[in-house]
Amino acid sequence: MAVDTTKNAVPFEMAQIPGPEMAKAYNTKVIGAILKKAKRPLLVVGAELFEDPVMFDKAIEIGKMGVPIAATAHTIKGFIERGYTENVHMIGLHPLTSYLRFKDWQGLDGEGHYDVVIFMGIFYKFASAMFSTLKNFNRDIKRVSIDRYYHVNADMTFGNLAFNPDQYHEAVDEVIAAMAK
Amino acid sequence: MEKMEGSFAVEDMQNVQINIGAIVKEVEEWDQPMGPFPYPSIATLRDWDFKIMQRYKIMYSPICDRCTLCTYGPCDLTGDKRGACGIDQAAQQGRIVLIACLMGATAHCAHGRHLYHWCLEKFGDLPINMGDEILVDAPITRTIAGIKPKTLKDFGPVLSYFEEQVSQLLACTHTGQEGNYKDFESKALHASMLDHLGMEASDIIQMIAYDMPRGDENAPLVECGMGTLDKNKAILITYGHNLAASSEAMFYTEDNNLWDKVDIGGVCCTAHDNTRIGEGLGYPKEISEKYKDVGTKAKVAGAIGWWRKMVRGDVMDCVMVDEQCVWTDALAECSKLKVPIIATSEKIMLGLPDRTNDPVEEIVDDLVNFRMPGVAVLDPAKAGEVGVRTAIAVKPKRAAEREADPFLSEEDFKKYAESCTYCHACQFVCPPHIKIGDVVRAAAEGNYEPLSSTYEVCVGCRRCEQACPQDIPILSLYAYANKEYIRDHKFKMRAGRGPVKDTEIRRVGAPIVLGTIPGIIALVGCGNYPNGTKEAYDMAKEFVDRGFIVAASGCMAMDMSLYGDEEGKTIWEQYPGAVDGRNICNMGSCVANSHISGATIKIATIFAGRNERANFDDMADYTLSKIGACGVAWGAYSQKAASIATGCNRMGIPVVVQPHSVMYRRSYVGRTDKKEDWEIIDARDGSKVYCEPAPEHMLYIAETKEEAMLMMAKLCFRPSDNNQGRMIKLTHYCDISMKYFGCMPPDWHIYVRHASDLPLKWKEDMMKELETKHGWEIDWKRKAILSGPIRKMDVSFDPTNIERKIRVKK
Repeated sequence: MAVDTTKNAVPFEMAQIPGPEMAKAYNTKVIGAILKKAKRPLLVVGAELFEDPVMFDKAIEIGKMGVPIAATAHTIKGFIERGYTENVHMIGLHPLTSYLRFKDWQGLDGEGHYDVVIFMGIFYKFASAMFSTLKNFNRDIKRVSIDRYYHVNADMTFGNLAFNPDQYHEAVDEVIAAMAK
Repeated sequence: MEKMEGSFAVEDMQNVQINIGAIVKEVEEWDQPMGPFPYPSIATLRDWDFKIMQRYKIMYSPICDRCTLCTYGPCDLTGDKRGACGIDQAAQQGRIVLIACLMGATAHCAHGRHLYHWCLEKFGDLPINMGDEILVDAPITRTIAGIKPKTLKDFGPVLSYFEEQVSQLLACTHTGQEGNYKDFESKALHASMLDHLGMEASDIIQMIAYDMPRGDENAPLVECGMGTLDKNKAILITYGHNLAASSEAMFYTEDNNLWDKVDIGGVCCTAHDNTRIGEGLGYPKEISEKYKDVGTKAKVAGAIGWWRKMVRGDVMDCVMVDEQCVWTDALAECSKLKVPIIATSEKIMLGLPDRTNDPVEEIVDDLVNFRMPGVAVLDPAKAGEVGVRTAIAVKPKRAAEREADPFLSEEDFKKYAESCTYCHACQFVCPPHIKIGDVVRAAAEGNYEPLSSTYEVCVGCRRCEQACPQDIPILSLYAYANKEYIRDHKFKMRAGRGPVKDTEIRRVGAPIVLGTIPGIIALVGCGNYPNGTKEAYDMAKEFVDRGFIVAASGCMAMDMSLYGDEEGKTIWEQYPGAVDGRNICNMGSCVANSHISGATIKIATIFAGRNERANFDDMADYTLSKIGACGVAWGAYSQKAASIATGCNRMGIPVVVQPHSVMYRRSYVGRTDKKEDWEIIDARDGSKVYCEPAPEHMLYIAETKEEAMLMMAKLCFRPSDNNQGRMIKLTHYCDISMKYFGCMPPDWHIYVRHASDLPLKWKEDMMKELETKHGWEIDWKRKAILSGPIRKMDVSFDPTNIERKIRVKK
């Protein structure tokens, strides 16, 4: 049975209530379908992957499906250690978000802007604020979180799965499966 | 015309008031001509601000999408919506940023204003004597105000100027005033520049009055850590930033030979300033004759992040709070452990009765017998006496209370730990994401290791306790399980040395501007680390070892003291304390941060011979173009940290902050894909040339310490770096990347102008990559770069961003 990722949709840091526009929690199939439909998606991964190394493998799975990966903080190291650097770009989350807010930016590969960004494994408060930048200053990009937290400033997110790693892993696997369909 | 003092009578005139303004001396002893911008007003330096903002794009990360400041609200500003008053999201964020910077700036300046009055009252007007090796004293005051203060009273007009400016700036935040985000930012930059002015005034006033070190690289090593507080004595904690009352406690202790009965430990910046008293040049005599080196008798109990841990760890008998960074539940926290609290500043009175005019005996008697949990005593001398006498007298009473009813018994500990239902409400609110449920569950099973291993990561915010439906006092569980840790918490910290000496600037000026000293790293700020206090030490060690000049201040200086090398030596014992490569200097408390920004002015004026007088943008331009300095506020929490960083930014110093700093809402980020943003003027002939993006960002948020360190190295590049300097900076940039990221940074090549810039250990590989990956033309026979760099090597290149610096116009 699919993991219910729509439950527990309260901000991970409970006081993180931005205003009238707050994220909806979606099930894995819907998120997977949206990501599959994306023309220029970008997977953005952060240093929390080191705390749950299996997530590197899941990121690589997504990368192998043709989704370029922005390896923020020092996560590039995890990809190098796993021998996968094909479409992995080393860049800080902060400058990346800064570029993403400009509509004339041509992307990490110079091939054009992105229509969907997918955050995973990023320190919660930091990711939330970067989502907020995009939410307010470039609304052309769809903001998707497949992190273990309910991300209030995303467009689409899971509910909180932070305390159930198995369910969280399963949920990400389901998204990947839906993308592959 | 000589200044005249005295009185005169005007006969036959009644009800006449004669006001005489400042009498300006006819003979000006300072030979520098007045620069273009004395006492700049809000819009005076706006052009400079807009140049910064053109290159470093303002980036907002709203924490709240609404405005709730007027009765039309709440207004939703999400996206492109506007509020009823017409304000948009960017301007609203700019407004909040300005308010935060004003909070920070006024905290420092009001501190200075209090010290100004108090020191004049206590010591009288004193000459500003910084010693033979500091002739360029008060560089920020000279640059902004255009005056050279000679006595403490000369700071009067400087503080008045500050106060007028902040009044005008705060007015701009009212509904229906400023509405453009760039202008809000320019105002925030102005407020924050003023913050550095206020900090400088504050620190010079206290340095002069309390005979603190003036650029002493051998300032004494003082005791630091909770374990240094002698439990056989009464323990008085002085907490905050203003030494007026805490110094009086020290003087009272000295005068009455009570050091064998009481230990005085400081928390937050008061700790720094306590330990600097009486260690200077022997002036004023009142301090040097009676209290020489008295600062070495005080102890640094700890940085702000340790405050609640100290209370729960039962390390104190009495507390005096002064101002800034005092957690507002201090009274409630202390009351639970029967620790009397004395509020000594009008700024923080905690609802306590004002007992300033009561006899000391009566106040002490009330506190010692727990008739009241605390008092306000606004006379520093009286407060100091009350603090010491209360601590000594209450110690046995507290021991009796503890005996009768332990604050947390073993039985209590078990009961609480076992009551955890593993609901994770605590983890939902923990800033550094400690898995508190697991930690408490392990404790219930008798395993205290997780409580130990996460003790330094905990920032002591107490949000977990408030979220806990079982009311488990989680911080008390931490304290209980870490009794041994607290007992052994004993380290050494070098006392704050104060400003940079002119002689040091002469020694390092050229290597910094040419880049052969790879940079100045300033580690400043508070205790809200994303991953524990150890990171403060790790970052400092990494950069001292690499030959950078590392300057530290405030709580970060204290926190990096808590670790040692294999021999147990703290960072202060491992390295000398001069302003030089492979040195680490503790500048002092929060207000001593001004000596770091002031040092960049001193490089421009002492090394490069530029006139600093009323010449802010010139100093900032020189810093931005030629001085490889980078500030780091890795534990930043406060609005003061926001204004310090923003003030650095106006001065041309980039700053790296930790991920929680998104709460500041605004950053300055460069775009390397916009060549035109990096156009710079060659001052030799006024030609406009493109340069590599150096420094690339002005306010950068890093996710991890590894990312921060890479960015710190990168943000030390400057357009003026010569070949050798460029090679050294590239070596560190690439080496840090290889060490922590496992690969070269993707943009190393943009800093290369000539083959001799390439680090020798990677030169061959780098040249291959330049040719194959980036399409550069290489002459392999001569090992030379023929084409490719953004800018070619030019040893006499003189970069500037200010047109008036052009020497010969084309």
